[in-house]
This record gives sequence, C-alpha cells and structure tokens, in this order.
Amino acid sequence: MKILIRAIIVLLCLTLIPITAVATAAIKQRFADGPNRVFSGGPLISGTLHSGPEPDWQFVNSIPTIEMQLQVPSTSRRIWTVEHAGKLYVWSGYMNSQVGRLWKQWPAQAQENGNAVFRIDGIRYERFLQRIDSGEALDGIAAAITAKYPSQTTRATIESGNVWLFEARPR
Amino acid sequence: MKAFYLCIAGAIVVMVLAVLFVPGVDDFVEQTFQRYLGRAAS
Repeated sequence: MKILIRAIIVLLCLTLIPITAVATAAIKQRFADGPNRVFSGGPLISGTLHSGPEPDWQFVNSIPTIEMQLQVPSTSRRIWTVEHAGKLYVWSGYMNSQVGRLWKQWPAQAQENGNAVFRIDGIRYERFLQRIDSGEALDGIAAAITAKYPSQTTRATIESGNVWLFEARPR
Repeated sequence: MKAFYLCIAGAIVVMVLAVLFVPGVDDFVEQTFQRYLGRAAS
C-alpha cells in the first residue's frame, strides 16, 4: 500500500512539470499583443484600424487564420475564417462536446456582446458578430468552410449547435 | 523522497524560467498542448 501511495505521489509530481509549463505559457500569452496558437492573447494593439468602405473579403480565403479579439473580455484568439457571398464568417466547433465547451468560451461571450476586432495582415477591422444557426445560406457557407479547411462542418452540424457560426458584420 | 521533491521543485522552476525567457519554448509548449487538446476534443 505504501509503495502504491508513493507511486501516485511520484506520478503527480511528474505531471506537475508539464502542467506548470502549459500554465506559464498560457499566462505569458495573455500579456502579448494577440494570440499565438491556442492560448488566448491580450488585446490587439498593433496595426492600423481600417476605415472606409467594406473590403472585398475574398482575400481571406487564402489566409489560414486570423486574429480575433472580443470587446468583453478583451482577450484575443486565432481562428479560422471564410468568405462566402461577400460576407465574412467565423465559427467554433466541438460545441456539443464537454472539452469543447470548456475550451471554447468565446462563442458564448460573443453572443452576449458581439463587438469584436479582427486583425488580418496587420490591419484591424471592427466587426459585430451575429450568430447564424439556420437558413438556406448555411449550405453555401458550410461548403466554403469544407473547401478551405479539413473540417466536417455541415448545415446539420451548425443547426444542431455543434458548430456555432457567426457572421462578422460591420459595426 | 526529500531529494525527489527538491528535484521536482527545481525542474518546475527551470521549466517556468525556460518558458518565460528562452525563445521558442513557449511556442513548443503551446504546440504540444494544441495537439493533445485537438485529440481530446475530437
């Protein structure tokens, strides 16, 4: 019994090392100007703020990820995006899974306050996130998503709530 | 066991300092975490 307890203690102590590394990296990223990979970053500070007419969003279809910061809380993350029919979309998957719900908190935050800032190619765009969970347009948007990314997003997964889709409208 | 605890404490301090100050370590940690997170979520 004593050996078992010691083995558990040793295992827990060894597990502490990677946990500390992950926690430190996550905290460090919070103080950075934007996100890196999966950890949330700080507010998007650098980059000129776009003003003027709405851009032709087709250029995002050749960009793997963009940086997005919500107004509340002012944390930022790196996300996938797609353009369809002249409109810009972002989304969050795994929303029906336990891990997904713990991991992805921004969709619920965006539903409460949709004001967001995107940074694409060093230019910041002020947007308003409007969730879309039904409609004929979902077929085309899902097709655009799967054409760009190795994603299993379909109209059904959006309507079931496993994928939360937002249109990034101008403010 | 005392020596073991000291080793673990030392390793944690070294790990924290490495993540904070050695270029690329934070990115490596994040990349590895992302891999495991993606696997857990799917």
